[in-house]
Amino acid sequence: MTDPLEDARSPRDRAARQRFVLDDTGFDEVPKKYRRFYRKWGGVNDALARNEVLCPVCKVVIRSTRELRPGDRVYCMPCMSRLVVSVGEGGRLEALVAY
Amino acid sequence: MSDPHDLPKEVFLDEVHSFEFWFQAVAGYLTERPNGHDPSIEEADLNSSEREALITTLCNYAIGETAALEASSGMIRFAPNRRAKIFLATQVVDEARHLEVLLYRLSELGVTHLEEVVQSRANRSLLAFRKRLLQFVDGHDWEAALFAQNVILESMEFSVFQAHVERADPITGDMLTGIIKDERRHMGFGENELGRRLAETPHIRARLQAVKKELDPLVLDTFEDTLEQVGVERSERPELGRSYLASVERLGFAL
Repeated sequence: MTDPLEDARSPRDRAARQRFVLDDTGFDEVPKKYRRFYRKWGGVNDALARNEVLCPVCKVVIRSTRELRPGDRVYCMPCMSRLVVSVGEGGRLEALVAY
Repeated sequence: MSDPHDLPKEVFLDEVHSFEFWFQAVAGYLTERPNGHDPSIEEADLNSSEREALITTLCNYAIGETAALEASSGMIRFAPNRRAKIFLATQVVDEARHLEVLLYRLSELGVTHLEEVVQSRANRSLLAFRKRLLQFVDGHDWEAALFAQNVILESMEFSVFQAHVERADPITGDMLTGIIKDERRHMGFGENELGRRLAETPHIRARLQAVKKELDPLVLDTFEDTLEQVGVERSERPELGRSYLASVERLGFAL
């Protein structure tokens, strides 16, 4: 079966996105090669960057090397969740679990 | 490493359920924690009532971890797929470690005759929850066992441990921080595995709703009792219950 989330990003969409260089913030709950893609959440006052979204299951901040947009798929490796980025209240990006 | 978010779904699922992923993940935060906490942290000066409350709390954590150890090991036999079997094997190891470090912490607090003390301080609702969970396991009821253990019990532990860390003495706080990192995997496994199961077989939803209705009073009583011991103000407790409520709501169960 084709995963409908696989095709969420078109090549043109990808080309227009801002890119980010990720550094290791000390998050240690995944193997070393994945650590820079996650960071601890600082609570409600933690402002997320354009390449970040909060996992609703385990409250870890998920990071991408590119700017996130509605419809993108991201993975939360610390809690094994597949998520889809959407626009939440107030226009902020949020992630919804895709079982 | 290229962006892991580009991994195909099946590759991602194989990766996060693997023993190798687990091994490299726990190495990051357990290597420097023999017996579950940083050995350089000094013991805080607890008064008698604080010490007694902490011992009771840790005894009930030990009951919960024992329940999860017994249940997760039993569930491997009837887990419906390879990924779940391998993941549960890692959870068994996690739960055994949690039980061991909790008992070690109790011994650091001067408790002897650990088994008797743990049983004598156990919350009745938690014992009833454990009994029901093991009945689901004995009956090879995958969905009910998964729901009771990896959604309900793990979500409750995740919330309680986080609240406790904010109020705990430094050694207990460091130990719980390590446990919480494991609970993230256990809780996420439960919600995602059950979510996929519900999508494939929606008729099981009504039965699980009945399981939830049966277990809710036991969970809420245990939750209240533990938060009282930990020193969480009554006004803060509804917020802490939100993690459990949010996960069951995402799975589509009525609150």
